[in-house]
Amino acid sequence: MAKNILALFQYEDDFLAAAAKLRAAGFGHITLMTPLPMPEAEKLAGLEKSPVRRFSLIGAIIGGLSGFAMATACALVFILPTGGRPIITIPPFLVITYEMTILIGVLSTLLGFHIVSGLPAWRDAPYRIESNIDRFSIVVGFRPEDDSALAVKILREAGAGEITHWEEPE
Amino acid sequence: MADYREPAYADVNRDILQTMLVTGPRYWIVFGITSTVALVCFFLPWIYQWHVGVGAAGMNRNAVWGTYLSNFIFWIGLSHSGTLLSAVLHITGSGWRKAIYRSAEAMTLFSLMTAALFVMVHLGRVWFVHWSIPIPNPMGLWPNFRSPLLFDVMAITTYLVASSIFIYMGSVPDYAAVRDASTGLRRRLYAIFSFGWRGTAQEWHTLGWAYTFFAVFVIPLAVSVHSIVSWDFAMSLVPGLHQTIFAPYFVCGAIYSGTAGIVTVMYLLRRCLNLERYIREIHLDNLGKLLIALSLVWSYINILELFTGWYSGTSYEYEALRFKLFGFYAPLYWEMITFCALVPLLIFWKKIRLSWNRMFVISILINIGMLTERFIIVATSQPRKFLPAAFGFYFPSVVEIMITIGSFAVFATLFLIFIKWTPCVSIYEVKETLKPLRRAA
Amino acid sequence: MGKLTDKLKQYLKPGYYDKFDYHWTMTIDLDRCTGCEACVVACQAENNLPIVGEKRFRERREIKWLRVERYWEGEYPDVKLRFIPMLCQHCDQAPCETPCPVAATYHNQDGLNTQIYNRCIGTRTCAVYCPYEVRYFNWFSYTWDEPLEQQLNPDVTVREKGVMEKCTFCIQRIRQAKDRAKDDGRRRVRDGEVTPACVQSCPAEAMVFGDLNDPESRVAKLAKNARGYKVLEELNTAPSIVYLKKVNPDG
Repeated sequence: MAKNILALFQYEDDFLAAAAKLRAAGFGHITLMTPLPMPEAEKLAGLEKSPVRRFSLIGAIIGGLSGFAMATACALVFILPTGGRPIITIPPFLVITYEMTILIGVLSTLLGFHIVSGLPAWRDAPYRIESNIDRFSIVVGFRPEDDSALAVKILREAGAGEITHWEEPE
Repeated sequence: MADYREPAYADVNRDILQTMLVTGPRYWIVFGITSTVALVCFFLPWIYQWHVGVGAAGMNRNAVWGTYLSNFIFWIGLSHSGTLLSAVLHITGSGWRKAIYRSAEAMTLFSLMTAALFVMVHLGRVWFVHWSIPIPNPMGLWPNFRSPLLFDVMAITTYLVASSIFIYMGSVPDYAAVRDASTGLRRRLYAIFSFGWRGTAQEWHTLGWAYTFFAVFVIPLAVSVHSIVSWDFAMSLVPGLHQTIFAPYFVCGAIYSGTAGIVTVMYLLRRCLNLERYIREIHLDNLGKLLIALSLVWSYINILELFTGWYSGTSYEYEALRFKLFGFYAPLYWEMITFCALVPLLIFWKKIRLSWNRMFVISILINIGMLTERFIIVATSQPRKFLPAAFGFYFPSVVEIMITIGSFAVFATLFLIFIKWTPCVSIYEVKETLKPLRRAA
Repeated sequence: MGKLTDKLKQYLKPGYYDKFDYHWTMTIDLDRCTGCEACVVACQAENNLPIVGEKRFRERREIKWLRVERYWEGEYPDVKLRFIPMLCQHCDQAPCETPCPVAATYHNQDGLNTQIYNRCIGTRTCAVYCPYEVRYFNWFSYTWDEPLEQQLNPDVTVREKGVMEKCTFCIQRIRQAKDRAKDDGRRRVRDGEVTPACVQSCPAEAMVFGDLNDPESRVAKLAKNARGYKVLEELNTAPSIVYLKKVNPDG
């Protein structure tokens, strides 16, 4: 049965200092939760360039190719010449290519967001309502050999408010 | 405002969620009115037209396009507001967009839906509209991708999908806030909508990157959508329409009309939902500056249109210009010039720019002018092309006027539903504009 | 590989066709035309054109695939009247064909601009793009009062509301002529075998119809006439109708 503690902080500098100290003390399973995006917290969590960008790029490329392919295929399957133009007309098909690039790029980015962020995550996880309003939260997960008392001491020294214990059901 | 106190984080949550969770009788009355008007003025005439034929509208042999298309262009134009504000200003890192972009994005989405409805109203045989989509079918026939209308289908589909995803993704943390503040069915629903959001660094990081990429995709998309709509006209040979300036003209007009729409909506939101602490003068000031810049560009493009028409030296262009400026619809043309080029010049004065009431009036006048502009493009050019014996005339019918009024009600109804479904001001982004909570002050 | 590049070259060639099978062309001699509008009536009878009624006519919703345009010159008593029958020009670079989103109008191998009624969804973009204003839309579903429905041509469909229509060069007659030629043993359609209703009914024989590809046909010879011109040629629509200018005795 995994044990977690969730500490609420009122001030963000306390929160960031505590997170750094916990990291230095060797606690690996730390989750930082903030009510607004905080680049410093993301850096502390070790997050640099997101893999979402690869999804966007690949999606855009696939979209572009498939857009042109779709337009060309539709024109070739049943040949209906119009307006003295060629059957495979490049300028209009480029517009279609462009739109499909964006469409598939956007859908692919959406997929990337879900895969990389792990959402939806509807399971019961350590969380308190204040974490999304005006408190900064640190969740520390313990393996049986970890010293939970040390973690609590670091948090209290850093200025944590409430500390809740979570027993995650197996 | 002298006595402006910055709200605390908890205040932000409370004030904004209150607009969603607390519904008074005034809301229900307004909602009832808009939905009734939408039903009676939009859907009933449309059903009548479906039954009788497009002849219920005022279009005739020469003028086969009418207010349905000009309204379509107007609504697509209005939809560019959200994209500009939300996506462009996100990329440029501007802070004043944060309180107002959510409602602007909602305007985008609902304007697009209204515009899509107008396409349906416009078609002669609406029940076959699915033939314009490239899906496998028993006839083995596929749409004609050389057509500017097909570019339209692709562009608007993409824009609808991208805008929906954009607004939804940006709202996920706020759905979590709603989930936390509610009970019962609403709590369960928003638990689903918010994907179990907790606000971990990983989630924020991914959301931030994904959101930036959405913005990067959506900006060129918005430019392309209205360019493509303009090409419905510009790819024809009709004098007065067959101009390369049409793409920039329409895009500029769209952003212009959209920004004016934002001012209107912000005024109403601020008044009706008590959001004075969040939608402030800095927003009005910046929106005003944006409006005046766009107004100047729009005026320039109009002058260019006149110039290129005159410079062409052909009788067709002269006649098209002459009819626009001095013909039957001349009062509408000059009204458009007044409302869109002259009235916004007042925004140069700070006294006007920082006054909510005056800017509200100006924004409505601008949009009336833009609606007229779309109408003039459609009504004055088409009936009078090249052969004078074939010149005709177009005047909208009662059915068309009702549907135009009804479309505003449809938009308003959708927006009213939106207010109760998503926080209309982005909670977490407003928190980003507040002073950071630091112990070491 | 060679065949593939050849095919690709064909797909990238403007207009797709190297040569039309029959290049149906019409010449209209404005010197002979008296403006009697017999052609208009014949077209209405042959092609099941709806009778829109006076009310709709006043609303400018008439459907006249072929109309005679009138231009007045001068003041009374020196008034001169010029008329020109205007019908679908079957442009080889038709501006109306490209914008149809469902490809309800396209250029067939006979050089005709065809309109497929059951594919049309009524966007009316083709009518906006046509510089000659020769496309007509069915704003309502029209009916024929008794006994006029007995006069309907069984070879031509009746169009419902929401469908665009225009002159087809009486494609039903062209089809019949081709069928007859095939039955006679795969010969080509001879000059004079197919005449649209308007050409057939013109009392002054102002209209001549035929295959431009056939150098011996009347139409090929007339099209080279010095008086020949095409309406709105400068728009580069490449129409298939050659008008022969009216000779003005006053110079």
